[in-house]
Amino acid sequence: MIPAQFDYVVPATLAEAVSLLSQHQDEAKILAGGHSLIPAMKLRLAQPQLLIDIGRIKDLSYIREEGSEIRIGAMTTHYQIESNARLKQICPMLPACAAQIGDVQVRNRGTIGGSLAHADPAADWPAAIIALNAEMVVVNGKGQRVIKADDFFVDMLTTALDANEILSEIRIPAPAGNFGQSYLKVPQPASGFAVVGVAVHLTRDAAGACEAASVAVTGVTSKAYRASAVEAALKGKALDDATIRDAASHATDGVDANGDIYASADYRRHLASVYTRRAIEAAAK
Amino acid sequence: MKIEGTHELYARRQRVYEVLTDPAVLKRCIPGCESLEKTGENSYRATLKAGVGTIKGIFTGSVELEDLRPPAHYRMTVSGKGQPGFLKGSGDIDLDERDGLTVVSYTGDVQIGGTIANVGQRMIQGAVKMMASQFFTAIEAEAKVEADETPPKHGFFRTALRWLSGKLRRMFRGKRSNPS
Repeated sequence: MIPAQFDYVVPATLAEAVSLLSQHQDEAKILAGGHSLIPAMKLRLAQPQLLIDIGRIKDLSYIREEGSEIRIGAMTTHYQIESNARLKQICPMLPACAAQIGDVQVRNRGTIGGSLAHADPAADWPAAIIALNAEMVVVNGKGQRVIKADDFFVDMLTTALDANEILSEIRIPAPAGNFGQSYLKVPQPASGFAVVGVAVHLTRDAAGACEAASVAVTGVTSKAYRASAVEAALKGKALDDATIRDAASHATDGVDANGDIYASADYRRHLASVYTRRAIEAAAK
Repeated sequence: MKIEGTHELYARRQRVYEVLTDPAVLKRCIPGCESLEKTGENSYRATLKAGVGTIKGIFTGSVELEDLRPPAHYRMTVSGKGQPGFLKGSGDIDLDERDGLTVVSYTGDVQIGGTIANVGQRMIQGAVKMMASQFFTAIEAEAKVEADETPPKHGFFRTALRWLSGKLRRMFRGKRSNPS
């Protein structure tokens, strides 16, 4: 449980961190909250030669509203999101998702940006971020670019971030109109990771029917994905039991589910459809 | 753990079989393969720097090919170990010809132990699928080129592009044959 030798630097600014990362590329890792990276290093599953600790950079930890967007700094901890009173009013899925991550220690140290950049296939944030149609602001040597949540997760532990890029901010369109949200998961009892996690964001028209639905699922396959078939089956319909049940049955359409000791691929598919139904019901209340 | 999968390759079966059993090609196509040397008739010794994302490890091990029935079938036995753990297993590889393309299907049983199995169990199946699709994408590119021609180049971007174009091609083909 002792990591291999590594060097450690603490840049004071994001620009300095980006330049260090550009110099060292794959040999270096960004240290955010460290609650995935440090355990992997202790087991020597990860052996970066250089850790770039971005924990002392000012202005990477914030939750603010700007125009029609909610902007969250990459180094904002899960607990800061879980306990934010304003978010509970304007975008309750974010605190609800944060509250279900790991345990208290993980939520106090772990960060939203770290979790997203690590892209664990069973992490909670990716589902929420896709369902909320968020955008990732990424900083590199030339400036910054914006990546849509749908394009951010490429494969297991692999994102659209280049080797010299750092995720700096998550931008979420502020939910408007008559909307409902939920995040529900089946936690693995030992690790707390999602065996299956489902995030739902619904908007309803004046008659109460579903105007648009945004549904994303994590834990089932190598990366979180948008359940487009579920969304299509809800759009424009009255949210009665039969509609919700039918929509939820499409939760894993076209998805190659993975199995492990804890849950087989078939069981995961089953859980995904049950939890998609419950998550839609919760969001429709 | 059981592993199985099928990959469709746009290349002749005979040529696919040749490249799948050619150590020089395998060395280029196996993700993270640093060395592959022949130790006997149909047996090889390999060093791999394998992994996904942050999680990486160096493995050394042996590969043996048996029951060679070109161009339709062979059996592969693998055993290897490295700092993150060990693996051993064997599997059957079958090649079928269908509508001018070659369908490679593999099925086998693999035992994985050590740290990687203790803490990474939930990721193993996904990692295997990811590496298999990288491997077969590279193999397809190799099989499209004849033995006496210059072999293609591989790299992260080339593999990603090939994977993407293959996916699109399959999507459109699927749409045509299933007009719903």
